[in-house]
Amino acid sequence: MTPAAKADAAGQATPAPARFDAIVVGGGPAGLSAAYTLAAGGASVVVIERGDWPGSKNVMGGLVFSQPTSQVVPDFWKEAPLERPVTRREMWLTTGDSVLKAAYESTDFGAEPYNSFSVFRSRFDKWLAAQASAKGAVIITETLVEDLLWDGGKVIGVRTGRPDGDLEADVVILAEGVNPFLAEKAGMSQGVKAEAIAVAVKEVLALPKEKLEDRFSLGTDTGAAFEVVGEITGGIPGTGFIYTNRDTISIGVGVILKDMVDRAGAAYSLLERFKAQPQVRRLIDGAGRREYAAHLIPEGGYRSMPSLYGDGVLVAGDAAGMVNAVFSEGANLALLSGKMAAETVLQARGSGDYSRRTLGRYGDLVGRSIIMKDLKTFEGMTSLFSSHKHFFSLYPQLASAAVKEMLTVDSLTKADKMHLITKLARSQMPTRRLIKDLWDGWRAFS
Amino acid sequence: MNDRLPYDDRDWTPPKHDVTAQLGVVKFKPDDTAHLEIKDEQVCRERCRRKFCTHSCPAQVYRWEEEEKSISIAFEGCLECGTCRNGGCPYDNITMRYPRGGFGVQYRFG
Repeated sequence: MTPAAKADAAGQATPAPARFDAIVVGGGPAGLSAAYTLAAGGASVVVIERGDWPGSKNVMGGLVFSQPTSQVVPDFWKEAPLERPVTRREMWLTTGDSVLKAAYESTDFGAEPYNSFSVFRSRFDKWLAAQASAKGAVIITETLVEDLLWDGGKVIGVRTGRPDGDLEADVVILAEGVNPFLAEKAGMSQGVKAEAIAVAVKEVLALPKEKLEDRFSLGTDTGAAFEVVGEITGGIPGTGFIYTNRDTISIGVGVILKDMVDRAGAAYSLLERFKAQPQVRRLIDGAGRREYAAHLIPEGGYRSMPSLYGDGVLVAGDAAGMVNAVFSEGANLALLSGKMAAETVLQARGSGDYSRRTLGRYGDLVGRSIIMKDLKTFEGMTSLFSSHKHFFSLYPQLASAAVKEMLTVDSLTKADKMHLITKLARSQMPTRRLIKDLWDGWRAFS
Repeated sequence: MNDRLPYDDRDWTPPKHDVTAQLGVVKFKPDDTAHLEIKDEQVCRERCRRKFCTHSCPAQVYRWEEEEKSISIAFEGCLECGTCRNGGCPYDNITMRYPRGGFGVQYRFG
């Protein structure tokens, strides 16, 4: 099917040209941001999405951050399908029976321009695609891109799974997600290493709105997001998360794939363990399962990034490993990188030169942006967590034991308790080890 | 086949949890052709003791059939995450492609 025929079938008025300025592979945050920006800039662009609609294959925790999103679509919160603005963030350290919590709450986060929203990718991305479409982008769905088309060393289009499914363009933007099949084939990506990738599973659980707001101490227009570290991941580096939606709860666990496999572990078993944590069980009690999802997160950061550009080709979003694992950010970086890829293409379009040299501007833009700067800051984190697995078990345990001791009233004096805690910490973690951990942690950040 | 991984030190045991109920609420549009494939069945049979994929796959697509001494693949219930191609099989013995366009998992929430 030709793109024009497909566009007609979808009832779109835009007459699709036989050849596009740009082809975007993948209808996720990176691809749709690129398409929106390109179309708004007057370029002809087609998004090729393998699912029935952009979003139908997409999974995220997940939060959408307001500032980077409004850089692509200003004031998106007025129309986009959002769940709740996140006004409270909580960090939980768990042991088997207890939780040590740190929380931050802000009324500012509940008012324009907001900070973040809980969303469902499937709905949000469908909406974002409609915005790109309104700007003139053509969206082709149910179509898998199977290969790139080459002319010598230059990418000149894509081969799709449809009959007569070749499509040509001046440039192809690979926004294909965490499994970068095409970028791998093109030799731009070495694939993702199991040490640097997290496997996450998530459930969407339904709870009547009033009950949810009551349990989570929320108003009608506020929401909460929880990040949970400790015994729930069974000593495997990783975290649990809970996000409140309008009348559902997103709950999941993400762990480093390699460490999970080394122990023949299973992500869904960790999620069951998380859901059984007494303090979590209370929150989700009676909530019926609406969906189960699994997704990978490229957490390798700066050290795992592929080549971002080549002759006639750019890579953006998860396909380029743009995830800040420490702060659970990814979709924001995907949006920004898609926009930068589009801006680079718009500029190349002026000169008609889509060579590696010209497209290298994308590398400069990303390099100077918050994307690369943040990824550089946390460069060593993934390997640090992998080599210091006790960060996820021993420290939460010690912190929890210390607080429990201080709060338990018995015949011991507070001085005795302090002494006991110090002794416990020393026995589990010799001073030399502690100093080394601090040093390693410091080095990973700087 | 004695080049076994050091942590492949125990025989297979079935997964502790079953995800049938989880998959029951997920919408799938199954293709009639498989997009997942074991590269070399001998590796599963003789080299891999723990049958890691039967645990690592979040959709329990891979099951060890003790009688047949082989892995069966319920690709219709694949969540398309890519665990199996990124270390979920530490012997790198699984080929994963995406299902054809318009087939496979269809997330309503995502």
